[in-house]
Amino acid sequence: MSELFVVGISWRTAPVAVREKLAFREEEIVGTLRALVAGEPVVEALLVSTCNRVEVYGVAKPGTDATGGVRRFLAEQRGLKPAEVADVIYDHRGSSAIRHIFSVASALDSLVLGEAQILGQLKDAYGVAGGAGTSGPVLGRCLERAFGVAKRVRSETSISRGAANVSTVAVDLAKRVFNDLSGKRVLVIGAGKMSRLAARHLYTSGAQEIVVTNRSPEKAQRLADEIDAVARPWEELEQLLVGADIVISSTGAREPILTKQLFKKVAKQRKWREMFVIDIAVPRDAEPAIGEVDGVFLYDIDDLEKVVHANLAERAKAGEQAGRIVDHEAGQFEHWLRTQSVVPTIKALREHFNTIAGAELQKAVELLARKEHTPAQQREVAQRLVQLVVNKLLHAPTTALRVSAPNEAALRAAVLCELFGITPREDAERESAQSMPEGSVTESAPVKQSKAAQ
Amino acid sequence: MPAETVERLLSVAPSPAFWIAVGAYAAATAALFMVLAGRQKVRPAAIALVAMALIAHGIDISWRGTLHVHPAQSVREAIGFLSFIITGGYLLASLRYRLTIGGVVIMPIALIMLVVARLSPEGTTPEDLSTLGKIHISLATIGVGVFALASALSAIYLVEERALKNKKLDSLVFRDKGTPLEALDRMSHQLTWVGFPLFTVALILGAVWVAKLGESLDRPEYPLAAVTWFAFAGLLVARQVYGWRGRRAARLTLAGFAAAVLVLAIYLIRRIVE
Repeated sequence: MSELFVVGISWRTAPVAVREKLAFREEEIVGTLRALVAGEPVVEALLVSTCNRVEVYGVAKPGTDATGGVRRFLAEQRGLKPAEVADVIYDHRGSSAIRHIFSVASALDSLVLGEAQILGQLKDAYGVAGGAGTSGPVLGRCLERAFGVAKRVRSETSISRGAANVSTVAVDLAKRVFNDLSGKRVLVIGAGKMSRLAARHLYTSGAQEIVVTNRSPEKAQRLADEIDAVARPWEELEQLLVGADIVISSTGAREPILTKQLFKKVAKQRKWREMFVIDIAVPRDAEPAIGEVDGVFLYDIDDLEKVVHANLAERAKAGEQAGRIVDHEAGQFEHWLRTQSVVPTIKALREHFNTIAGAELQKAVELLARKEHTPAQQREVAQRLVQLVVNKLLHAPTTALRVSAPNEAALRAAVLCELFGITPREDAERESAQSMPEGSVTESAPVKQSKAAQ
Repeated sequence: MPAETVERLLSVAPSPAFWIAVGAYAAATAALFMVLAGRQKVRPAAIALVAMALIAHGIDISWRGTLHVHPAQSVREAIGFLSFIITGGYLLASLRYRLTIGGVVIMPIALIMLVVARLSPEGTTPEDLSTLGKIHISLATIGVGVFALASALSAIYLVEERALKNKKLDSLVFRDKGTPLEALDRMSHQLTWVGFPLFTVALILGAVWVAKLGESLDRPEYPLAAVTWFAFAGLLVARQVYGWRGRRAARLTLAGFAAAVLVLAIYLIRRIVE
């Protein structure tokens, strides 16, 4: 039976300093996969290398355990000694590997639970393996199923609902205030990293007009260039606030720069149109009282983080339900995989039966072609054909049953009964005993009977 | 339910469509509650039930029309018609936005209005109701219906705004994502613009009608109707001239609608008393 396996490292087992050593660049993956399949007892392989994980999903040659070899292979490919990374590399085989792949695809193993980015990365990795010619029917079916499970988990649970980081929360909140961010003007006050992140997120969410202001005009210009925004002088702050719909403030000021008094003036000039203010500075840039001004919605870093924590707690709850879905689906896939292991046997059995039946049919056809037969003779030939085929098909199993060791005979007989759905007659043993001196049943006996009939 | 009431109900509303509408309104309310409780998959069914209620209600009104019962023939009929307009407006708006919280409030109100319309006594419906009177009642009904929708959106605005200000993001109003404040404000504004001219014409025709009938103008509903008109006129001026938006505009919308409800209530009570 082909066994699925997983070998790799992830954020759970290794810090980024180790993960980056084992990471593969996109252009290296095809060559690596081909080398893996050529050098190890691996028939199918896929390599996924992201910032949070480097994993090989593969199918080992029947009867072999490929995980040890793949561990070594991964380390050597990156110029490391296997012992150096032995503690951080994990492996899974069989059902554990299937469950792991399904969990990864469903974002249950992601650093941020439910972060769907991994699904796209897995799909890309599957595409690369296809291009390298290293993905096959088992891995292919497993990945396709994993994508289906991920879709099911996303639609049936709330694992991906609710923003999981501060800048996404800020955008979500802005969308509760504004119908469409595309026509909104964003004012970024200060030039900190958080401002950059939030502004970029708003930009990708549709906000087209971003203005940056900072006490240092150079810093404002630098940030503006980085995020495709316009820099304006600090002295214009009040006018800029009047024109802004979303304000992100993240300065290093020790005292609040956005006061209630200022916002009362601003709100009046804006005719109390809605204004969303995100204060991500510590110490805070905005006086909490500005949230009392009509039309102004103020959220500071604590408010945003509270939302993140609440969303993550919700996701964790959904994770339990998602885990049950993954378990169920993994069980079903494992069952399918097990049935696949008997497919070659079923094929061989059919071929064997067809060969025997075909050969006997050919003989019968030739016999009938030699001269004309009466209907009774034709019937006799057909009967003989059937008898011959049955005897030939049963010859090997019945012989094996008769010559088997006493401790195996009962088991084999029981298996045959189950496979053919038969129940031995109670008097069959007595009849068998009477026929013992005449020897075992072979195809010759019916042939003789047949000849006699002719 | 007293036998007399049942008899009255059956005598005025034997249309099967009425019963279907009542069932669909009740089922839509229950379904919208389920959506609000987190069962998002029920949402399409809830909207379908609202549509079903609207269609059945429309058929009931049409059926009554075939029996020469005009939807603006009396206050009772007008209340049923008003409920129909509100439901239609809600259905249209909810095709674009998630207004579950609004539906949870509007659907039971629409149901109550429909049942009240059919249960309340016919009163002294003038058999000689003139065309002028019919147009007046029709326009006033449609105008108030549109104001009712604008007010419902303003009410949702105020609830959402309060929740956002107080950072109560797990509030019931956000269970079904909610509708952006800006969209609520804009829709309410647009509806006010639609309702105001209708209501204005209705008011003028009403005054002409009353003058023609030679009735006294000292009834309380007349100044209240004027208050309603002034409230909505003031709202439009505040929005257009002074640029009022958000909370202030929402409060003024609700104040105007409260006056309109008072007018309707006085009419209804008068008919019952008479």
